[in-house]
Amino acid sequence: MAATATFGLLRRVTLKQTKYKLFYALNNAPTDMKLRYVHSVFCKSTFCTEASGKEIERDKSTKSTISKAMRLYLERSREYEEFMRKESINYKIGRRHLANMMGEDPETFTQEDIDRAIEYLFPSGLFEPRARPLMRPPEEVFPQRKEAEFDESGRPYHFLFYTGKPNYYQLLHDVVTHLNGLNKYEDEMIRRHSYPGEADVVDFSGSEWISKDNLETLLVETINEREYDNFVKVMERLSHHPYAFRIRDFISKYRKLLISQTKASDIPKPLLGEDGKSRITVTEAQRKTARASATITHPGTGKITINGADILYFERIQSREQLI
Amino acid sequence: MILSLVEVLAEVMTQMKYLVSLRSSIVAGKAIVNFSRCLTAPLVNKQYSSYAPYFVEPVYKKEVQKSLAESGDLSKLAHVPIKPAQNDDTSSVYHEDIVRKFTNYVMRKGKKELARNLVEKAFENIKRIQLEKYNGGEANVETNPVLIMDKAISNCKPLLTLTPIKRGGVRYQVPVPITEKRSQFLAINWLIMAAKEKERTVHFPEKLAWELLDAYDNKGRVVKKKQDLHRQCEANRAYAHYRWS
Repeated sequence: MAATATFGLLRRVTLKQTKYKLFYALNNAPTDMKLRYVHSVFCKSTFCTEASGKEIERDKSTKSTISKAMRLYLERSREYEEFMRKESINYKIGRRHLANMMGEDPETFTQEDIDRAIEYLFPSGLFEPRARPLMRPPEEVFPQRKEAEFDESGRPYHFLFYTGKPNYYQLLHDVVTHLNGLNKYEDEMIRRHSYPGEADVVDFSGSEWISKDNLETLLVETINEREYDNFVKVMERLSHHPYAFRIRDFISKYRKLLISQTKASDIPKPLLGEDGKSRITVTEAQRKTARASATITHPGTGKITINGADILYFERIQSREQLI
Repeated sequence: MILSLVEVLAEVMTQMKYLVSLRSSIVAGKAIVNFSRCLTAPLVNKQYSSYAPYFVEPVYKKEVQKSLAESGDLSKLAHVPIKPAQNDDTSSVYHEDIVRKFTNYVMRKGKKELARNLVEKAFENIKRIQLEKYNGGEANVETNPVLIMDKAISNCKPLLTLTPIKRGGVRYQVPVPITEKRSQFLAINWLIMAAKEKERTVHFPEKLAWELLDAYDNKGRVVKKKQDLHRQCEANRAYAHYRWS
């Protein structure tokens, strides 16, 4: 385990060797030598005589003896960044061209405009919406990858790198920070005898926590079921704090809006007639092959007319009960 | 007397399963396994619904909608997909859940109208019989057929049932607890089966009315059947532990 601390992810061949050496050294060397060996592996010092040759070389000049694997890793991450940059430039230029083609202002050409333009220029008969041609910023099209996680000397940038899932644990860390902050604020408020109002309670009924897959794409890391459940529990705890409204934005980032089943625009508005009575007509009502439209008048007489006939149009009492 | 004993037995059974499973875990050193579930739950999940599992049942009764609005749960339903209401789910004043369920059990070959007519006629017969008693000067005569049906069904509900369990090559009839839904199903089914066993000249609604009235008074064939079952369970209580080992 000590060996992994100094090296990056990729040096598996030398890892085994150093591990074996460490094991051998720890079991067979005298105690003071053991300590010095371990110390050298951690601190990259040149005191210990049992330190491997490669380590001494590295300590002398970090830049010239960067390992091949490390170099390849850094190259790959640089290539990816370069590629994304180019794609981003292409996308921006492409957007302007598209705006010119459609005869619109390139400055105010939004993503919705792009979608409409593509649909117009490349009409597709494919059923699956994801199979149709699209033009999106490269971040949405290409899978996100992490930038170089550690520098040339092998020191990682993120303080939680060694957890294996730095972004996930960073998120949990942030949640706990927020929680502590809110608790402090609450204490302060209680000291001043001030309590949160009814209007301040955040209503999350129209949304749900983002799915595991969405969280994975957000964090650019793979998460297992247990970790996801943990995330949900922690976020629930945070969102139930009386002062959660202060960090509403942070919480909303991890909430997915549920589509309202009946939008306000779908409900028809009553039309006022000449006789002072308002009417609503619901058309396109259907069941199996039956098609119907219904008109309701308010204020009314209570009479029911179906195709000119009374409620007795329906022979079954069950059907009549459905009307009343 | 037997009823109360069986009730106690039913209670003990449901509590015992936790104790026995705990004991087995201590003795065997294994994780707690709830074997009782293997017997009552189906092995294959047969979900043929045309709606996804997250679809919610509709709320069509005005009183229920009102209570939801008061408690604040109605706003949550706005964001959840809801299944469409069935044809016999109405917000009519005359709508009763127990009557709808009973009608569905009476129905054969999808003839809902016939089933509904039969049940309506049975109610009419109940009303006539009860009115005769009421006008005859009897005290405490219940004339509402819906209430009579409700009480009759609850009087016929068994609390335990026997299930065959094979141990050592022998099949024992072991008393096991029963879910509320299953209990209700058995009660309604027994009533309908009893109403079907009749003379050729007697019509089904008439016989059904008699059966319902008998069950309401805690006498008659269906209640006897339930009591026989309870007696059997009581007699076989020695095999109760076969449920777990």
